[in-house]
Amino acid sequence: MSQKNIHEDQKYIEGLIQNNAFVIQSIYDKFAPKVINYIKMNSGDETQAKDVIQETIITIYNQATEKKLQLTCPFDAYFFLLCKRKWLNQLKKTGNKEVTINEEVLSKDDDVQELAFETTLFEEQHELFTEMFEKLGQACKDLLKATFKINTMEEVAESLGISYAYARKKKSLCIGSLTKMVQKSPRYNNLKS
Amino acid sequence: MQDQDYNAFEDYLSGNLDQEAVKIFETRLGTDPDYLEAFQTYQNVSQFVENHFNNAEKSEAFKSQLEKVSSNYFQDASSTKTKKKRINPWFYSIAAAAILVIGLFIEQQFSNPVYNDFANYGTISLTVRGSQDETLQKAETAFNNHNYKDAETYFSELLITDANNMEYQLYKAVSLVELNKYEKADALFNDIMKTPSVYKNKATWYLALSKLKQKDEAACVDILKTIPEDAEDYPKSQKLLNKLD
Repeated sequence: MSQKNIHEDQKYIEGLIQNNAFVIQSIYDKFAPKVINYIKMNSGDETQAKDVIQETIITIYNQATEKKLQLTCPFDAYFFLLCKRKWLNQLKKTGNKEVTINEEVLSKDDDVQELAFETTLFEEQHELFTEMFEKLGQACKDLLKATFKINTMEEVAESLGISYAYARKKKSLCIGSLTKMVQKSPRYNNLKS
Repeated sequence: MQDQDYNAFEDYLSGNLDQEAVKIFETRLGTDPDYLEAFQTYQNVSQFVENHFNNAEKSEAFKSQLEKVSSNYFQDASSTKTKKKRINPWFYSIAAAAILVIGLFIEQQFSNPVYNDFANYGTISLTVRGSQDETLQKAETAFNNHNYKDAETYFSELLITDANNMEYQLYKAVSLVELNKYEKADALFNDIMKTPSVYKNKATWYLALSKLKQKDEAACVDILKTIPEDAEDYPKSQKLLNKLD
């Protein structure tokens, strides 16, 4: 547990983890209009807003399930900042520079900035890992699938007809080569926290 | 890093090093920054792979649910917009006049608000694509078709295996109100209201409606006053409160 207080809006995070339709709906009802408005004012349309919101929610969901995300600030400010950054990045990529950055709507709250930064970092890391994982050899993918799908490494060893120590070694080499690929990627240096 | 380094990472993470070896390993982490960085990346990658396999189905279910909510939301938003565009401005003044006349008429006829004016539970969506839970589907269909007798039975059934599911409890209670089984319904709402769940305010609003249906207006007013301003149903609760006062 961190020493920071968990914000009461953590209920939204828990709701996402539980795949609760009611919570997802209330996130849209309460927080989407502001994002849609912002994107429309900055050379975007409703379809683009839809994608930005959806991608942002998936990122939050991933971080919540993988890293036990704990909200230390209001969900509203956190969510808006993430959506906003995502949209500005997209505009930058397409070379569209017509952006009226409305900084007043941005929270200056440190907790919000910090948490949003962590989430952005997580997202980029997640994307890099996914990409590298796809490049991993099939034998490694199969072995890793077995090691995480089956409860214990002893059972994995038995199912693959190899010794426990050997199965663990193989697993470490597969994750090791993934680690190497990740570290070699030019994008890796931007991701160090 | 060499193969044996990754081996050591795995042995350390899976608790397969003896005390002596753990000490040596941790000393190296503290003194060799490259080693530490590789270890941290290894740990992150390992977590990622674990999550990738263990949560694949859940994650797919989440994404399809999200897509459903998102599409509905944006469809609703754009359909109201196109409707607005088609309306002739003259229509507004005529409509306003008509509403005024009808409103005055209704105001004179029935001055007391009734349950049916406010009891709009909408369409619920509990199932996700590919979900195998037949009872859940039946509960959803029964509820959406206003067949509250069956809905109550199915939600009770679901609650046997998932007793703490607030969503099921809420819809069961609503079904009970519709069936005039107030005592049971109100008890359920009260239970939900005691929890810190996201359904707390919904339950409060529905409890107020239950009291309205029971013609206990004093209790209804008291409950309505406890609905906080940030609740989704706050505007409706204020409207009802104004009518009751």
